Amino acid sequence: MTVLEYLVDALSGGGIYALLTIGLALLFSVMGLMNFAYGELIMTGGFAIYLLRDLPWPLMVLGTIAAVVAIALLTERLAFRPLRGASPLTLLIAAFAVSVMLQNAARMTVGPRAKGVEPYPWLDGTISLGGVDVQVLDLVTIVVALALIGGLVALLRRTRLGVQLRAAAEDFEMASLLGVKANRVIAAAFAITGVLAAVASLMLVMKQGSVSVTIGSVPLLIAFVGAVVGGMGSLQGAALGGFLLGAVTAVLDAALPGELAPFRDAFVFGLVIAMLATRPQGLVPAPEVRV
Amino acid sequence: MRASDRLRAGLWPPLALSALVVLAALVVSGAGDVVIERVAILALINMVIVVGLWSFSGVTGVVSFGHVSFAAIGAYACAYLTIPVAMKRGLFPEMPGFLDFLLTVHTDFPTAIVLSGLTAALFALVAAPAFVRLSGVQAGIATLALLAVVYNVLLNWEQVTRGSSTMIGVPADLRLATAALWAVVAICVAWAFARSRVGLRARAAREDEAAARSLGLRVVADRTVAWCLSAFLVGCGGALYAHFITTFNPDQFYLQLTFVVLAMLVLGGIGSLSGAVLGTVVYSLLAELLRRLQGGEWIGLDLPAGTAEVVLAALLLLMLVKRPAGLTGGRELPLPRPRRAGAGSAGRAPTAPEPTQG
Repeated sequence: MTVLEYLVDALSGGGIYALLTIGLALLFSVMGLMNFAYGELIMTGGFAIYLLRDLPWPLMVLGTIAAVVAIALLTERLAFRPLRGASPLTLLIAAFAVSVMLQNAARMTVGPRAKGVEPYPWLDGTISLGGVDVQVLDLVTIVVALALIGGLVALLRRTRLGVQLRAAAEDFEMASLLGVKANRVIAAAFAITGVLAAVASLMLVMKQGSVSVTIGSVPLLIAFVGAVVGGMGSLQGAALGGFLLGAVTAVLDAALPGELAPFRDAFVFGLVIAMLATRPQGLVPAPEVRV
Repeated sequence: MRASDRLRAGLWPPLALSALVVLAALVVSGAGDVVIERVAILALINMVIVVGLWSFSGVTGVVSFGHVSFAAIGAYACAYLTIPVAMKRGLFPEMPGFLDFLLTVHTDFPTAIVLSGLTAALFALVAAPAFVRLSGVQAGIATLALLAVVYNVLLNWEQVTRGSSTMIGVPADLRLATAALWAVVAICVAWAFARSRVGLRARAAREDEAAARSLGLRVVADRTVAWCLSAFLVGCGGALYAHFITTFNPDQFYLQLTFVVLAMLVLGGIGSLSGAVLGTVVYSLLAELLRRLQGGEWIGLDLPAGTAEVVLAALLLLMLVKRPAGLTGGRELPLPRPRRAGAGSAGRAPTAPEPTQG
């Protein structure tokens, strides 16, 4: 494995991880919610892809994003808005309940079995880059992830909504006193996480070639881990945490001896526990850690 | 309050709850319906686990998402102790040498339950330093990570745990009486702990950690005791569970069971032992009703699989919104009082401090 191949792997894996963790951290910073139902947003995306798979791909992508954003806004309106101001722990339990609801609702409607999704042939190919074959999908993932993160940074830095979001993340009460509309800002945060989750689910489904009810559970845990490592609620930290996690996973994949390789996740989560025990504020502490 | 009143207030909740459990068990065994008996046994096992979780989360106010991993450890420990020795060589052909004793060790079921609980408690003690310092959402995530670690190890350490292929050969010898006995034991142990010196100190720290520390209470030490004790009870519950379902794999001890256990605790009210017990009863009854409804009983129409779970989760959510302190509101069962004028307003005697909402 050359350095370049290794780098592409780490960047595309890290890119998806970064999208996931940013989505989770954004909600945590704005309203103290560790969204356990995030995995089900990815599941929603997966099923939308499955149902829309025969449409031309731009429509499929738009439809998927719309579906996930709709579900994200629905959970906000029905479950999390009535709980606004509750402790992060209550919110975590509530999100657990929302996750179980969505997962079983999908089981009721779409069915419990995994569905195959044929990846687009043009994504499946490889192109030669500097003498090594690189998967087109990996390149697309890297480009899309970077573009989305760039877009999000621009949104947060340059737009009115971005300023309001950052103000709400820093001090929610003060922001609402100064005229930031709480409902709008939080709904916007949910919509943004919806877009990020939709894009992540597109990448994941194209890579795996199948969709199932539990497709979101691994990405969810990854996002949790990345957000914790980065410092919950800090967006730069989340991006950093996500990328680092991608790198650590790749390193562990390469470095763990054969008989320990299946235990990779145990090591990753062990690192999380160690991180929380020794440095609970994360690598990049949030401006105000809600405890 | 007079001393005798205080004594009664101290003894009443565990006695009343135990009596409730025994009464329910008697009624069920009298009914003689096999299905109802299975439902009751499962509810009692869940009660052991929920009460065990309460003795940490209820007493310290730190909600754990990882206690099901103790149940998993209890279940696996119990399996090694009670699967007939003659079967084990065939079940674990590649058991690593340093664990060879697992293939020859054997105890009867009651001893195995206690040993399984102790195994879980020992594991909890080793892990404790990483968890007892945390609270709030950090503790929630760290304990969730613990659950993921234990699940991952059980799933992949195939020589020892058989991985995702099921563990078989556990005798199906859990009777209703045993389950009821353990539920009563769990209730009494948890109550005695909550009223003990350590338990009271832990509850003080639950109300105001900074104040407790400033009074010189060693919060971390007290929480460690609570953590290990609750791991013991949950581990015993896991052992009972193993003898109830007899075939299991790590998936039985992951997010789904975690959700059920948490939902029971939150539904009843995390602030009181009565909440843990009643939450388990109410949730189990509802789950069984919904299961039958979903199976087409009464309405003659099969509902798609998953309906029961959606309804139960929605109910938990509704509870969190409308009544975050749970059905009991953090109170223990009220003492029945001698009838007197104006008894209506005197009927509530909070024997536990108001819960911290969590």
